[in-house]
Amino acid sequence: MNDKKAAAYRLGLITLVILAVLTIVEFIIAVYMGALVLLFIIALLKAAVIIQNFMHIARLWQEESH
Amino acid sequence: MSAVSTTPASHDDAHAGGHEVPYSTQLRSNRLGLWLFMFSELFLFGALFTTRFVLWGNTRPNLSQELGLLATVILLISSFFMYRSETAIANGDQKTFLRSALVAATMGVIFFIMVVVMEWNIFGLSGSLFGIELFGHLKPSDGVYGGVFYAMTGMHALHVLSGVVFILIIWWNGRRGFFTPERHWGVEATAIYWHYVDVIWVFFYPALYLMGKAV
Repeated sequence: MNDKKAAAYRLGLITLVILAVLTIVEFIIAVYMGALVLLFIIALLKAAVIIQNFMHIARLWQEESH
Repeated sequence: MSAVSTTPASHDDAHAGGHEVPYSTQLRSNRLGLWLFMFSELFLFGALFTTRFVLWGNTRPNLSQELGLLATVILLISSFFMYRSETAIANGDQKTFLRSALVAATMGVIFFIMVVVMEWNIFGLSGSLFGIELFGHLKPSDGVYGGVFYAMTGMHALHVLSGVVFILIIWWNGRRGFFTPERHWGVEATAIYWHYVDVIWVFFYPALYLMGKAV
């Protein structure tokens, strides 16, 4: 149980770091390149990370309770 | 959604012990309902997002980049604390659950203030810190730029505000021991909603602050 709990907290932290890095990359791209398509791809990546790790979309088709 | 009513008597007889839907089934229905609700909201936000590209094209208003970035970081950290809060209650850690929920709500309020008080500048303030412009200058009457900007940030801020209210409700109920590791749908739903608000901003932030040439 403790391992599961630690893993869950770790996942949250990893997700936050990924989002922070992507946000910084997004900002740099906008300032120096202004590539619209690239910015859109990064936004999609960020959304996918949040939906997968924070919103647990996989639970929708899982047989589980709390 | 606690019970299902049925009409055929024979079916009722087959369940002499009552007709309570198992909690796991309720949970699945609740989750599906929430995701469908969010999907329906996607049309609203999608319309606003599309409007930005139709009316602004490859341009954008000259907004404070630092303010936009800071607001984004605050919302992301807030999402992290909401995740932490949900994980904590799922593992029976009441203290972390309450503390993290409160941090998430506080950061949500800070984000709201940054948008309404600083970016919208409803009090007409001016000032800077370390060369960073703290208050916005764009008004709703400033043509398509003002209109689209206020529509997008306003609709999003409204969702942030409702999310903060939901977080405070679960915090209040959590203090009274309302949630357990086995049953905490309220917390899960609030967390998913809060992350959804974050996802919307993930698209709105570059659309408003980063994409296109500043005019």
